[in-house]
Amino acid sequence: MAITDSVIKRLEMWILPRLAQTPVVSIYAGTRGWPFVIAWIHRFFGILLVIYVLFHIYTLSFLETPALFDHKMKFFRFFLFVLLEWLLAIPVIFHALNGSRLVLYESFGFRKDGLMIRRLLGISVAYVFFLGLWMLLGNQTVTPLFFWLTVSIIAVIPVYLVTGKIWKTGMPVGWKLQRITGAFLLISIPAHLLFMHLHPSIGHESDVVIQRMQNTFIRFVDMALVVSVLYHGGYGLLAIAKDYLESKPLQTACAAIISLVMTVFAWIGIRLILTV
Amino acid sequence: MEENYDLTLIIHRYDPDTKRSWKQTYHLNAGRILRFVDLFRKINEEEDPGLAWNSSCEHGQCGSCSVKINGKPLLACELLVENAVEYFGTTTFEIEPLNVAPVIRDLVTDIEKAYKRVDKVKPYIIQSAPLSEKGEAYSITPDEMAPYINATRCINCFCCASACISSHRGFLGPNAMLASIVRLMDPREMEKIERLRVLYSDQGVCRCHSSHACSFVCPKEIDVAHFIALAKEGRFGSKSQKK
Repeated sequence: MAITDSVIKRLEMWILPRLAQTPVVSIYAGTRGWPFVIAWIHRFFGILLVIYVLFHIYTLSFLETPALFDHKMKFFRFFLFVLLEWLLAIPVIFHALNGSRLVLYESFGFRKDGLMIRRLLGISVAYVFFLGLWMLLGNQTVTPLFFWLTVSIIAVIPVYLVTGKIWKTGMPVGWKLQRITGAFLLISIPAHLLFMHLHPSIGHESDVVIQRMQNTFIRFVDMALVVSVLYHGGYGLLAIAKDYLESKPLQTACAAIISLVMTVFAWIGIRLILTV
Repeated sequence: MEENYDLTLIIHRYDPDTKRSWKQTYHLNAGRILRFVDLFRKINEEEDPGLAWNSSCEHGQCGSCSVKINGKPLLACELLVENAVEYFGTTTFEIEPLNVAPVIRDLVTDIEKAYKRVDKVKPYIIQSAPLSEKGEAYSITPDEMAPYINATRCINCFCCASACISSHRGFLGPNAMLASIVRLMDPREMEKIERLRVLYSDQGVCRCHSSHACSFVCPKEIDVAHFIALAKEGRFGSKSQKK
């Protein structure tokens, strides 16, 4: 542990002064602090991921016509798309781990924020590296039921801990549900990304995807993912919007639009899971 | 260390009569231990008597001279020239009013409007604990005071509100939350439910994104984010609890 901390400290001494010289970062790191910069990155990545999720559900909707799905998926085998899929791991793992850091700070009284930031960056780099390795190898096999059963059991732990900690507080129910869905997504989304890249056929061949989705448990997990991710993203978008919209009617209109969009995509996703 | 610095101050101006906003550049030579309020006064005396700015105690206790200097909200009476040059690494400073309320003129904001958000949390004891039978004043022991003594140092300078990622449109603001939390932690205060309703309302702590900018900029070095996190953790009870 001491060796790891020493390596991390040396890395920090090399990285931080260079980061602090970049134009936008230097302004905010110096005037609001690094956690503020991280909060903005969290927010930016969150918006990016909501856009990606909507695009992902739209793309998956082509599974209703398997031939069309296979045709569309051909584009995702080009090097540029594979690279983009790998880069997607950066916002995913950063947003997930930083979210867990916020939950630990806010609800579990963990105040060693500097340590948590160092660890979240370290684990993020390791995750992105290993995902890249998985993608390059492209030859891993595991049964979907075993993988998702294991992941679900692990995901239940943070959900249970977070729910137990926050449910009786006076915070609004919407806020609590965002934290609870976040605890579920903390494990399940990075796991989903890993699973999709164990082997190229897992995510790109319609017959493999359809066969996987015939299992009731997998369907249940997929539905939980769709509902959680859309609620979590929708609440996040609304929270950001409320920071900029002062008028109540505008806030209500914004909430209505976000709810409508998320409900439509949830309906598309669930319908697909149940019918394909 | 230099004795004097050639400074460039780019100050955001606003004329309420013509509704015109502009940036005005002032060049001045100033001693290293002058404070920024001294620089404003020097501009008034030597260059431009029309520049409006705000200050009262000039000892970091009233919070009326808070401005943004190179983007950082701080008290102009506390910042020395030499410290500013060292911190920002420049002798050019862009100075603007805090964005927590409408600007009245130049660096002066309508602080009464900003205070309306603090007033909403009722920063005073609503219902005091009963006095002892002998009628002695209620006393707080050091142990009772220790968990929140830092929070009582808030001077409502609004630096935290200006720095907050959650802005100040829907959120009552970190200093207003802190004022409420101080009273929730105060053993003399009996009215907790009303406070919790405001704290956990749509304009309350749920609007905080824990960016910690409040703690970073606080001139009194209060860890505001810590106190807000205590509220999120439910340390002060639930708004639906019985009295």
